[in-house]
Amino acid sequence: MIELRCLRKAFGGKPAVHDLSLEVHKGEIFGLLGHNGAGKSTTLGILLGQVFPDGGEAFINGVSVQRERAQALARTGAIFEAPRFYDYLSGWRNLEIYTSYSARVPKDKIAEAVEIVGLTGRIRDKVGTYSQGMRQRLGLAQALLPENELVLLDEPTNGLDPEGIHEMRLLIQRLNRERGITVLFCSHLLVEVEQLCDRVAILNQGHKVFDGRWADLESDRRHVRLEVDEWEKSAALLRDIVDLKIVERGVVSVKNEFDTAELVTRLVQGGVRVRAVEPQRRNLEEIYLSITHNGASPRADL
Amino acid sequence: MSLFFLQLHGELWKLFARKRTYIGFGAFFGLEVVILILFQLPKVQRSFRHIVEQAGYGFEEYFSGVTLAFQVLYWTVFLLGGLYIALVGGDIIAKEVEDGTMRMTLCRPVSRLRVLTVKYVASLIYTGVLTLFIGLSALAIGLLRQGVGGFFAFQPLQKLFVLYDFNEGLHRYLYSLPMLGITLVSVTSLAFMLSCFNMKPVSATICTLTYFTTDNIFRNIPYFDSIKPWFITSHIETWYNVYRSPVPWAQLTEDLAYLMGVDATFVLIGVVAFSVRDFKS
Repeated sequence: MIELRCLRKAFGGKPAVHDLSLEVHKGEIFGLLGHNGAGKSTTLGILLGQVFPDGGEAFINGVSVQRERAQALARTGAIFEAPRFYDYLSGWRNLEIYTSYSARVPKDKIAEAVEIVGLTGRIRDKVGTYSQGMRQRLGLAQALLPENELVLLDEPTNGLDPEGIHEMRLLIQRLNRERGITVLFCSHLLVEVEQLCDRVAILNQGHKVFDGRWADLESDRRHVRLEVDEWEKSAALLRDIVDLKIVERGVVSVKNEFDTAELVTRLVQGGVRVRAVEPQRRNLEEIYLSITHNGASPRADL
Repeated sequence: MSLFFLQLHGELWKLFARKRTYIGFGAFFGLEVVILILFQLPKVQRSFRHIVEQAGYGFEEYFSGVTLAFQVLYWTVFLLGGLYIALVGGDIIAKEVEDGTMRMTLCRPVSRLRVLTVKYVASLIYTGVLTLFIGLSALAIGLLRQGVGGFFAFQPLQKLFVLYDFNEGLHRYLYSLPMLGITLVSVTSLAFMLSCFNMKPVSATICTLTYFTTDNIFRNIPYFDSIKPWFITSHIETWYNVYRSPVPWAQLTEDLAYLMGVDATFVLIGVVAFSVRDFKS
């Protein structure tokens, strides 16, 4: 559904996105994860034709956004961290105004979108009287109209309280499940992306450092903490083992399928007294930090 | 095409539902009332009487509603004309960019040219509505205060001195309103152009006013008489020409064509600047 090919963009000589390629399949919730300034919003801007890339191209349903923007975005909606509206107009009027730039949308379609996001009772009120959560829901309603198949969400839970975040997450999941809407979800919050997305790409300083399923990310490697008498001697023995990396004193990183018994055997055969071996399963946050701090290929570092 | 009108409808709704839009209407109306009150002062009327009677006409006959309306129109436009048009013109793009609503609009499958066209047409309509409001409200309060009578206009700087009966004066007054509106489009177009650049709405408004004030000052410097046609305000004042007898149609047409060329240039520059911009939070 979405294909990014070698996107490059720099602002004032500083790269914001570097050689970014990825694919989002129809019907999935795809997460674009990265810290602030990682290049998520720039990527989204390029995808919406709001930012002109220095190189590369973005496609939606096989249509180039850079060459055929109107056709590419015909069934695409988006909201940004804080969706902006005309506060002095009603929610309904805002929806009418925004959707008029896509197509003539029948009133019942607007009413349906309003009902989906649960704003029916307040839609005739001025947006200026809405809470942040209501604004986000109105933003989502406008992103669904006229009959969008793809929704791009840039930090959609920013400024929401925990209950609002929970509601928004359920709403996105429901839209994906019941209506088959494809979602590209950008966030710097690991937990949010983890709870919502099927697949994820992690951006770090404009570079893609991971692209795949959470399962791939979690199960790829694990850390093993070793308690030994002579670390230097142990380290020398361990350096010969393929697929093993020394992370720090007493901690090594190994592939998940690696047999810990072999590790112990090697050390004992080398004359090292092993007093404890403790597998350490890293949580997603540690994995994410490891990826983004090392900045290189994630699979090599995990 | 029908989608264009739907978009224009939304744009006008946004424009006229905003309280800020009506500041201009309120300010003009207030100023019109003030000028009208000042024209009632005996000292002011004495000087008015002197000019009319020196030309051999009766003051009572020509100190009428339509004469006052012209004075009110001339001075209010001179004093505030550009300000409120520049305010709305400067807002039309830059305010939306500043507020983030432009990014929301640009998520839609619509070209930037279409968005700008809709907004420019909306600002033209605002210019027209404001001009008509100034003209018709000035006429209404003039007629209410002074009633019908002959029309008299004297503006030394424009070398304008004319007297007409009520019907002729009223017709010329009404013809002058669309002319005034068309000439003021240059203010709209410059503000619109600046609004398309990456600048604050207030900067677009101030830059527009600065340009027209400077242009007007330069135009009135005697040493620049030979290059007067270079200044846009020299062409904007062409709306007075409909009061002359006979109407200098060739001059009027030339001025309007010049202004339209200037307007088109402003809009084109704005469109190009807007079309190559990156929009990012």
